[in-house]
Amino acid sequence: MATRTATRPIFRASLRSTQANGHSAFIPQCRKVVFEYCNKWPSSANTRTFLLNHLQSVAKENPHVEFVVKQRNQKEPVVRGFYINNRDKVVPLNGFEVNGIQKKVQLLLDSSGAKIKPLKRRTVESTTESARGIWSGLHVDQLFKI
Amino acid sequence: MQNVQRRLASTATAQKLKPTIPLSSIRAFPPPQALTPKDSKSPVLFDSDAWAASQSPSPAALGAFAHRVGLGKLSTNPELMQQACTHESITLPYSKLHPNKSLPLTNTNLAALGNSLLGLFATEFVHASYPHLPIRVVKAAVSAYVGPTTCADVAREMGAAPLLRWYRAPKTLLRPAVLHHEALSSVSRALIALVYQERSIEAAKKFAHDYFLSRDIDLRAMIKLMNPKKGLALTVEKFGREKPVSRLLKETGRFSAAPVFVVGIFSGQDKLGEGFGSSLSMAEFRAAEDALQRLYLTRTPLDQLQLPSQTFTGDVFDGLTSVKSSPYTAGELGHTEVNYGSAGRSSIINPSNRTLSEEELSED
Repeated sequence: MATRTATRPIFRASLRSTQANGHSAFIPQCRKVVFEYCNKWPSSANTRTFLLNHLQSVAKENPHVEFVVKQRNQKEPVVRGFYINNRDKVVPLNGFEVNGIQKKVQLLLDSSGAKIKPLKRRTVESTTESARGIWSGLHVDQLFKI
Repeated sequence: MQNVQRRLASTATAQKLKPTIPLSSIRAFPPPQALTPKDSKSPVLFDSDAWAASQSPSPAALGAFAHRVGLGKLSTNPELMQQACTHESITLPYSKLHPNKSLPLTNTNLAALGNSLLGLFATEFVHASYPHLPIRVVKAAVSAYVGPTTCADVAREMGAAPLLRWYRAPKTLLRPAVLHHEALSSVSRALIALVYQERSIEAAKKFAHDYFLSRDIDLRAMIKLMNPKKGLALTVEKFGREKPVSRLLKETGRFSAAPVFVVGIFSGQDKLGEGFGSSLSMAEFRAAEDALQRLYLTRTPLDQLQLPSQTFTGDVFDGLTSVKSSPYTAGELGHTEVNYGSAGRSSIINPSNRTLSEEELSED
């Protein structure tokens, strides 16, 4: 009876599946938004207006997010988003009008929390045209079907 | 600048944003039992880890978690989510810290029920999807879909990690140490049980399919073939086909440093599998492997998938059977798999003539 195996054994703890968020159910990635404002300083004035007038409707539209309001005196207003991947995004709110603050909050709610990867790089510049032509997905024998 | 500081912003904001929770419920920090009174000489023994672990998450966080998972309107009882996120390891430190309070509800029973339900749904799904898969691979696939590692991963991806209440209990004589992923896995299992409890088994099945069975597993990596040629020969015999014969299809560089052989394995006129290799035996091995994998990985198309749980009409005790069972046609009972390399215990000895008793021999 052969006791030495050609392949490595499979350990039960290593048996796992990889996530497919959105294939059936979608779990929104933003879990908590924290507003930090100063009660006195004018830089927080627009933030205070937003908190008084618009926060409730935003919170109602996003029941999957925990909204926290913290008073942080003598500091500039800030909004923090906490995500499922244990990262957080911090956005300062001084200098924005109320609709600007709304946009920043929406940005935090829409984000996945992943680090922003810069894709803008120098494009390839060449004087000669490509030898085999540039591939086009519409000019193939069989178009890709989902 | 002084002018800016004098320009007072609205002080009414702080009053309007006053919390609606009463002051008495705001948690005192540091906790009074941690502080040493001025009279006493000896310091107070206080387990800060246990205190921190027994703090419950805010109801807003629990509500948000429920909505994130699609269970926002599951029940009017806000304690259910709290229960689902409480592991039993918290009971001992909690009872030591708060001897007068009642113990918090834990998710042990819910997790056990949820585990059984997940096992049911996963097993029928894997077996119905891959009818020719060997049993040991079915077991591995079920572990991959709903095993402890995956349950912990699912709970983490749902965002249950900051809400979990558990305590890193050390190893005792009766039970092993409690680990974080163990405690986390109980959360996702408890959620399935909650759906079953509050709604129906169909709802629990849909939850399981959405969150667990829609995930990706690498089934090919779980199929380990020790001797695929022997396995293929036995399998072909079971199917009542001609003996497999391997034939060289293409070759190049036979006596060079980098030969390539392409071998096909045939049963009569039908090519069962094809494999390449740098030696003839290697190519033949791969061809047999390919043939067996083509059989094992045959998948039922999703529109033709028939699961036995389709016949469930809801809870037995629930008088409202609004959901009618859909018609179910049982799958064809195909050929049973070969004994060789099937259940994972290769040391099974099949009865031979020497082991059979005289009566059994005379029956043949």
